[in-house]
Amino acid sequence: MRINGWAALRGYTFVVYGFVYLPIMLMGLFSLNSSDLIAFPLTGFTLDWYNQILHDERIFKGLLTTMSVAFPVTIITTVFGSMAALVLTRHQFKGKVAFLALLVLPFFVPKLIFAIAQVTFLNDIGIHKGLYTVWISQALIILPFVTIIIASVLFRIDKRLEEASGDLGATPWQTFCRVTLPLMKNGIMAGSFISFVLSNAEYTVSYFTSGRAQPLSVLVASDFRFNLSPSLNALAMLIVVFNILVIVVSEWFRRRGVQPE
Amino acid sequence: MSLKRIDMKRRLSLLALTGPNIVFICLFCAAPLAVLFSYSFYQVDFVSIIREPSWDNYIRVAENATYRGLILKALLYGIVIASLCATIAYPLALYIAKKVKVYKAALLTLLLIPLYTGDLIRIFAWRVVLGAEGVLNSLLMWLGIIHEPIWALLFSPFATIVVLTYNYLPFMVLPLWAAFEALDNSYIEAAMDLGCRNLSVFFKVVLPLTGAGLVAGFLMVFVLVVGDYLTPQLIGGSSGITVTSAIHDMFGAAFDWPTGSALAWLLLLSMALFVTLVTYAFYKSPWGRGVRGAK
Repeated sequence: MRINGWAALRGYTFVVYGFVYLPIMLMGLFSLNSSDLIAFPLTGFTLDWYNQILHDERIFKGLLTTMSVAFPVTIITTVFGSMAALVLTRHQFKGKVAFLALLVLPFFVPKLIFAIAQVTFLNDIGIHKGLYTVWISQALIILPFVTIIIASVLFRIDKRLEEASGDLGATPWQTFCRVTLPLMKNGIMAGSFISFVLSNAEYTVSYFTSGRAQPLSVLVASDFRFNLSPSLNALAMLIVVFNILVIVVSEWFRRRGVQPE
Repeated sequence: MSLKRIDMKRRLSLLALTGPNIVFICLFCAAPLAVLFSYSFYQVDFVSIIREPSWDNYIRVAENATYRGLILKALLYGIVIASLCATIAYPLALYIAKKVKVYKAALLTLLLIPLYTGDLIRIFAWRVVLGAEGVLNSLLMWLGIIHEPIWALLFSPFATIVVLTYNYLPFMVLPLWAAFEALDNSYIEAAMDLGCRNLSVFFKVVLPLTGAGLVAGFLMVFVLVVGDYLTPQLIGGSSGITVTSAIHDMFGAAFDWPTGSALAWLLLLSMALFVTLVTYAFYKSPWGRGVRGAK
């Protein structure tokens, strides 16, 4: 292709990235605008909306619920995801494709169908909804993401390091603890950070499987279904900024893990 | 250690690593789906469920033109959005994979940030932009381009299509980007040396070699769009009645779990059928030959 072709593609790439970030930028802009209406023209700069959110008790409670879901979900998905990633990158066996298919099944079943299946199932076996039902259903949805992130780091680790350890007389367990685990540490960190973010963001599944204690995402959804307010803008921006920080840290870990290429 | 004992140890470690995952997913995902399947054969009588299996729900749903229409509409939306995403993502993935050097990692992270932030925040942002008294309408009015707000910006099929495309674009870019990364530049150079022109290089070399990524991304977006429940509901308004919202209603207000389960399973089956057909057609096509040859 000729050079002006690439220049056009570069312009095009900028336009698409603009499209991707425009709604978020506008949300940020209007979270700082003093008017009650989320509309042009801008009326003036204010931090009131942020102030309102930070002093809202309901939001604070929702945040606590979100956190008491996110930490257990992160632990479950990181442990199970590490195991799955090890299997996918370090073992050859019959039925590997079937195992992979089972692993990504919850991701490909529509979330609504997944959620009502959960509710029907819980109803049948007589379990009441609570925080732990959210843990399990969220963990299933998030597990494929975490597995892929950890596997992406494991793929790049030289298998000869593990073979050398075995040749020098280490047992498989020693090799795992002293060679594989330290090498995959960055992948595990990256996976757990992403799991944390995805758990915060999850709505559909949390809505159906949470009982009385409602996470932040469910609160926000019920608020903005009927009425958009600049304070919701501010809350959404706080969530976005927090997520960006966590994702950037996660990517930093992941890329450090795959550096020696 | 004898070879046999090493083999035993390998098997044990394999079992220890796969076992918990298999049990976890079977117990909490496959079993609930199976329970939902069993419900699709039951009947509902006022407020109680009668556990006498029959095909009645499936027959009723299949004979109902509204449900058939909703499933077809979902599949159609899936195809349209996946095609739009493919069209937008293809040049983007080409550029990032083949031309960007220093900021490649940063660009990919930038693409993933909105994805990780979740559907809800993204939908919320679009409602702020598209609302009747929202950012876009007020901007156009303030600038004097229009004099009355365009109501159809939000709660319309147009809005649904824009937001769905926006939401699922990253799922198209990632497999395409991987396909372009795997595409060896020397193939393109060889074709050029042999006298191929730009367009025929594209159709004879680049497109066939990235076809698998294209199909993978297409099917992923298709499946996610067909199953999307939040976007049509919160962006589409009254035009946003989809098969997923119909299923939701049957489990909520109508308390007709059996019919809801039958509809849910019919949707799952038609999705699976479509995905299988496309995969099969691709595998048998001249483009699929590259994939088969590589194996």
